[in-house]
Amino acid sequence: MSFKLPIFDVKNLSFKIRDQIILENITFEIYEGEYIAIIGPNGGGKTTLIRLLLGLETPSSGEIKIFGQKLKNFKEWHKIGYVPQRATLVDENFPATVEDIVKMGRIAKRGLFAGASSEDRAKVHDAMVKMDILDLKNRMVGTLSGGQRQRVMIARALASSPKILILDEPNTGVDMLSQQRFYTLLAKLNKEENITILFITHDIGVIVDDIGRVFTINQKATICNDPKQILSCEEVSELYGINAHSLYNHKHEH
Amino acid sequence: MIEMLQYDFMQRAFIAGLFIAILASISGTFIVLKRYSLMTETLAHSALVGVAVGLVAGYNPLWVAVIIAIGAAWLIEYLRSSFSIYSDAVLSIMLSGSLALAVIIVSLGGAFNNSLFSYLFGSILSVSNEDVYTIIGFGSIALFFLLIFSKELYFIAYDEEVAKTSGIKVKFLNFLLVTVVAIIIALSIRVVGSLLIGALMVIPTVAALQFRVGFLRTMLISLFFALFSVIFGMSLSYYFSLPSGATIVLSVIAIFILSLVTNKK
Repeated sequence: MSFKLPIFDVKNLSFKIRDQIILENITFEIYEGEYIAIIGPNGGGKTTLIRLLLGLETPSSGEIKIFGQKLKNFKEWHKIGYVPQRATLVDENFPATVEDIVKMGRIAKRGLFAGASSEDRAKVHDAMVKMDILDLKNRMVGTLSGGQRQRVMIARALASSPKILILDEPNTGVDMLSQQRFYTLLAKLNKEENITILFITHDIGVIVDDIGRVFTINQKATICNDPKQILSCEEVSELYGINAHSLYNHKHEH
Repeated sequence: MIEMLQYDFMQRAFIAGLFIAILASISGTFIVLKRYSLMTETLAHSALVGVAVGLVAGYNPLWVAVIIAIGAAWLIEYLRSSFSIYSDAVLSIMLSGSLALAVIIVSLGGAFNNSLFSYLFGSILSVSNEDVYTIIGFGSIALFFLLIFSKELYFIAYDEEVAKTSGIKVKFLNFLLVTVVAIIIALSIRVVGSLLIGALMVIPTVAALQFRVGFLRTMLISLFFALFSVIFGMSLSYYFSLPSGATIVLSVIAIFILSLVTNKK
């Protein structure tokens, strides 16, 4: 096996709130180019895991390395694009055009006093083209549909040229057709741009052909290397019980 | 208009007032979007403690107000990030606490007089040369920081966590913003008064938001509204001998109502 530096290297990660264990002894690695789905019951710790990876929460024990560096020393945050769960619930009064939002993706990279460079403008333009929102450029974000907002948020994340996109099921208010289009876009980013994707989702049946691995998070992590066989991953079926079938059968409803 | 500008005191009041309009509206945009509106009231009352100390101890009240307001802003930011207290409750406690403290200091010092009244409601007659220098000096520093970090502050106002995960120094910039706001509020109490400055920071932005346009335009509209209210309000103050803070605030409220009505969905 050739040596390759993982994007995320997580060892024995645990997280407690007061005495309650939220996540326990989680270990995994994520490599460049992977497409990983995170599933698990509500309250199982999926979002907490992502927040830990992003440094928004501090682990109770264990270690997280990003691109080989300890999380607290990591500085190149532009390599990571994050789209939170609430992304589609934009405050309707917030004064932002689509372009205003996508431009945010470039801010952290820019030095003090520096205006937008031609590279900044090109990346913002590219991100809007990729997400097919160029024609919405001057629209106020509050006036967009859920599906359009979803694409704007991904474009913002893409503008910083990330190596990995971390998405926490940003699906609220998104209709099924837009959702399908969204999954197609993600698969395209993964295949054509080699962007690693870590994605919390309930729709595993729909994207089963795109994903490489599935992490099931319910306090502990179970990693399944063949999504098509997810039902035979013992712990998964134990976890979901009869619902495990609905996870997969979901595919045929669409 | 031209006639009133022949007087030195009006020239000083206009320079101070216009500078404060710029500062209040630009910082106000971030404050409103971050849902920190109530903080302006709390900091204004903290600044009053500084005024009280200044009046009683014989220092320049504006300088003392700037220092105390910065201290209060840091305390609020510290309390809300380090303890599990609701942030509006923190603001409420600090607001009443500061006012109580200011009243006691002023009462003990025997300074309950007209000059305190002018700090509460603003007075165009009271702006000294020294005040103008203080406002321009501190105000320029505040404006400088607001402008160089405006993109980052906008991102933080939009989504603090996403900003943080993009590598923006959220904690530092939050402290910077409240510091700058504390300075602006303390500087404003000469012309607008501590009981009324909150309105000049918050209302122009809220009025501008009714137009539902992007960030830059919202900020420019807010700036225009603040400048107009200050010019119009100070003129009313001059012609009718009214406290300038009150006339400025009523002017900006009139603009707010017009914005609401003309942009009704």
